[in-house]
Amino acid sequence: MIKARNVSLVYRDGTVALDDVNLDLHAGGLYYVIGPSGSGKTSLMKLLIGIEFPTTGFLEVMGQPMRKRETAKIRKLRRDIGPVFQEFKLISGRTAIENVIMGMRFLDIPMNKAKELAKNALVRVGLEHKAFTLVDRLSYGEAQRVAIARAVARRPALILADEPTGNLDHDNAVKIFRLLESFKDRNTTVLITTHATHLIGGCNADALLCVEKGKISIERRGGRT
Amino acid sequence: MKNIGYFLREAGKIIRYNSVSNIFSFLGTGLILFLLGLVVAVWGISSQLVVLLQQEAEISAYFDKLPENPEDIINSIKSIDGVWNVSYVGAEEARSRMENILGDESYILDLFEKNPFEPYLEIRIHLDKIDPVLQSIRNIKGIDYVRDNREVLEQIKGISRALEILGYLVIAAVSITTLVIISHMIRQGIYHNREQIKTLRLLGAPDRFIGFPFVLVGFLLTFGGGLLASALITVLINRGYAQLGGAMPFIPLPPKDRLLLGIVTLLLSGSAALGILGSLFGLSSINKENQG
Repeated sequence: MIKARNVSLVYRDGTVALDDVNLDLHAGGLYYVIGPSGSGKTSLMKLLIGIEFPTTGFLEVMGQPMRKRETAKIRKLRRDIGPVFQEFKLISGRTAIENVIMGMRFLDIPMNKAKELAKNALVRVGLEHKAFTLVDRLSYGEAQRVAIARAVARRPALILADEPTGNLDHDNAVKIFRLLESFKDRNTTVLITTHATHLIGGCNADALLCVEKGKISIERRGGRT
Repeated sequence: MKNIGYFLREAGKIIRYNSVSNIFSFLGTGLILFLLGLVVAVWGISSQLVVLLQQEAEISAYFDKLPENPEDIINSIKSIDGVWNVSYVGAEEARSRMENILGDESYILDLFEKNPFEPYLEIRIHLDKIDPVLQSIRNIKGIDYVRDNREVLEQIKGISRALEILGYLVIAAVSITTLVIISHMIRQGIYHNREQIKTLRLLGAPDRFIGFPFVLVGFLLTFGGGLLASALITVLINRGYAQLGGAMPFIPLPPKDRLLLGIVTLLLSGSAALGILGSLFGLSSINKENQG
């Protein structure tokens, strides 16, 4: 599913975000990426979705090499990814359900089916009562849950969630983790970055990817890494 | 097709977002296209005039002395390549024609003691062969002087040619201006929606999905302008024909419906094409931005 060989990411200002990363993540696995702020978690997510590209090394996601010259193919690849961004990236001026449906408009999903999937996803994040509320009027935590609903509604092969519980209270955060973890049973690969390590104690992860100053060490959990 | 409602709503949103600029774009495009329609109308009428004048091209040949048998000269002229009709106009008929032309002023002719007109030959020719025909007629024995209307014809042809060039220039000006206006509006729309575009790209939306509402906006703005221009030109031509037809019936106007249909078709198809093209130019700016 995800293969990284000696991947490094150095930003233009010389900051080394990731240093000599090697990964082999299998399809259907659940992985937590943990580490302190600024350790490189978000940079890893940016590489995996094709916002950034490796400075050196080789990275492959679902068989697609992540190279700058293959942006058209990477755009197609993104249709199989359910991203949850730290800053949500919801489309303002639209309701919660419109935002969730938006992620499916350009996929081969009939509109009736898309609406049904969107409603179900909102139910699963506990926001069915806010389906027709403009996202601009939602609280931070609610907006975050809409972003999660948008990511999971289209049943992607890979979920990339960057700090998906950053603005949620303890109970809602645990619910969201359990929701994201549940996709593992559908053979969806789930990668979640978080610094809230106290919340993942009882999780069913296959491995923890511990990021520290751009280096990643793997702590096996489920024995599938 | 499942997204057609979405695309229309998006286009409406983009237009509303910058409504004042878009209203002025619509009006500006409409007036520019109206100008184009006007030039094409004048061009069409003058072309019709030239064609008719060319068909009616006529020269007059005068005798050096009154021939006993003008039939010999008429037959000689008829045999010249490029001549398609020759008729003899007697002195009385020449006077009668002039009386008709002068109308109420024809009493002037009564001041002459005798008929001032002399018989002549009225020769209809193919205009493209005017030079050899004139030369041949001048060489015929018994012909003293040949009067051609070449200057008038050449002037009308010159005006028509100038209008044709003006037409091409106006077409070029309209095209460039419309393309610039529309591509600028689309770029503005893209700038206002840049966050949404970035998000859609991150979700994997193809460029045609992202760009289609903008193409629709360009199409709607210019096609709306085309409709406005068509309405204005229809009113103008209807009024113009009503006035010209009454006041100057001798001007050979082309059939009104045919002229209008041609101009409206040109304006609507041209505006639609320019709108789509302008939008595509505007959309090219998306590709220059970060592909992320």
